[in-house]
Amino acid sequence: MGFSDQKPLTAAQQFLLLSKSPLSVGSGELGSGCFRWHYKASPTPLSRVYDARLEFAVNRSPRVFIDNPDLTMLSGGDDLPHVYEQKLPRLCLYLPRTYEWLPWMRLDQTLVPWTSLWLFYFEDWLTEREWRGGGEHPEPRDLEQRISRSRLQRRHAPRQRIE
Amino acid sequence: MYHDQRLIMRDGMLIGALERMCATLEISPSQATLAKERYEGVGEWLAGSEDPLLKLIGIFLQGSTAIGTTVKPIGSNEHDVDLVAHAPGLGDWVEPAALKTAIGDRLKANGHYKPLLVEMARCWRLVYANEFHMDITPSIPNRSCNMGGELVPDRALKMWKPSNPKGYKALFLERVKLAPRFRVTKSFNAQDRARADIEPYPEQVRFKGLLQRVVQILKRHRDVFISVNELDQCLSPISVLVTTLASQSYEYCVKTFIYDTELELLFDVIRHMPDFIEARSVNSRMHWFVWNETTKGENFAEKWNADPKRAEVFFAWHARALSDISRLRDAEGMDGLKRHLGDAFGPGPAKAVIDAITDEISASRRAGTLGVAPRIGLVTGIASAAATPVRANTFFGR
Repeated sequence: MGFSDQKPLTAAQQFLLLSKSPLSVGSGELGSGCFRWHYKASPTPLSRVYDARLEFAVNRSPRVFIDNPDLTMLSGGDDLPHVYEQKLPRLCLYLPRTYEWLPWMRLDQTLVPWTSLWLFYFEDWLTEREWRGGGEHPEPRDLEQRISRSRLQRRHAPRQRIE
Repeated sequence: MYHDQRLIMRDGMLIGALERMCATLEISPSQATLAKERYEGVGEWLAGSEDPLLKLIGIFLQGSTAIGTTVKPIGSNEHDVDLVAHAPGLGDWVEPAALKTAIGDRLKANGHYKPLLVEMARCWRLVYANEFHMDITPSIPNRSCNMGGELVPDRALKMWKPSNPKGYKALFLERVKLAPRFRVTKSFNAQDRARADIEPYPEQVRFKGLLQRVVQILKRHRDVFISVNELDQCLSPISVLVTTLASQSYEYCVKTFIYDTELELLFDVIRHMPDFIEARSVNSRMHWFVWNETTKGENFAEKWNADPKRAEVFFAWHARALSDISRLRDAEGMDGLKRHLGDAFGPGPAKAVIDAITDEISASRRAGTLGVAPRIGLVTGIASAAATPVRANTFFGR
């Protein structure tokens, strides 16, 4: 499997694919080697329609935020599950430094569907404060490193998964 | 367009939620089979008696188990299975108490039934703890009823009163078969269907027998209403009255109107129920009638006339049921759905519904068949080309 041999998609290519995909209808701003894309995400017909924002920059992990509604307000002030930061909820959608997401993969086929999945488990979490989407809990020290610098290219032994 | 289609998908999801809820409240197929084996056994035992009163006696189902509208009572592990022990050779020269005693004596003569037997006012109850209890009511033919009716004891066990469990069941099941008419919605027409970005439409979720589901939904709401408001249990609207009004209203709605979705039909059936209550003012006092259409002289609202408080409770409950059930449509999010379902039907069934939805998504995700479709969201089973598979991922972080 020559995953690492695949050629990364450029910011402009990702931007174009997002703007064409019916899953990520929205608008955005394209810069040089980076962009922002605003789209609507709703995991089920009964769910809220959320305003999501995807931020992309070459050689960095793409980041997804929910701008509206305010997730912390929905949680009644309780700490949110699976976000990098409580104040500016950036969703933890995949394991960094693994093959779950690599720069050659289309964002409209990875992070966009994962946003819906995250929101589904988030609304489920709101009912009883139990996260049923599975995931992995990082060490606090690790987390800091992962946020500070992207290490997408570096090999790392997969850690034990917590279902 | 987006709006239209999404509303229809919302209704479909609510129908799915109510379906799941009813499935958790009704008697399970395995319990129903077990009950059948047991009452057939009871029937054989009664028919084997030497007592001339029990000659040719036969047992059959009546009530909710017979018509598919069972709902587990609140605070009990046992379903009610209502049975009629019909003695076709007898007439009203037999005292109700005498026939009831004959049945009781025969059951007591069996070492298996004796310890399970409990005497009730006008029937015998066999209690299978934590499963169900079977109420066996004596009955004889009603020769003055031209609809094949029967006579059953009154509550005081002094007189025979008209009833028609078999005819009632037959009429109800006829109404179940009435097919509602639905408008072909704009968003589902061929032109839109051809547009790739709108596909896929997951199959429209339908109730398994809307009339039966309406009755179950109403009975559950009633039980929760009585319990939450701490009302006297004996003021609770009786099941046969609720069932009768729902089935008359269903027939009327289905024959008169065309609907967009099954959910709208459900609301309308509930809304029109009171139209089928007959009210007459006698000496400035209200008298209420909800007639059994399958025999003469059985008024399901009879008790309202002795105690007007019962009518009040019925109308208060009905208004609340209509508002709680209509409000389900306003649910926002899974959490909102759970809250609305909980308000209407109690926390247990609400949790069961959310658990079932989450389990289905999670199972599909594990199996690698989860997809996401425009305007709809997550779809289990990625049969349609327009659903994008949700790649495997791991939610990172706390």
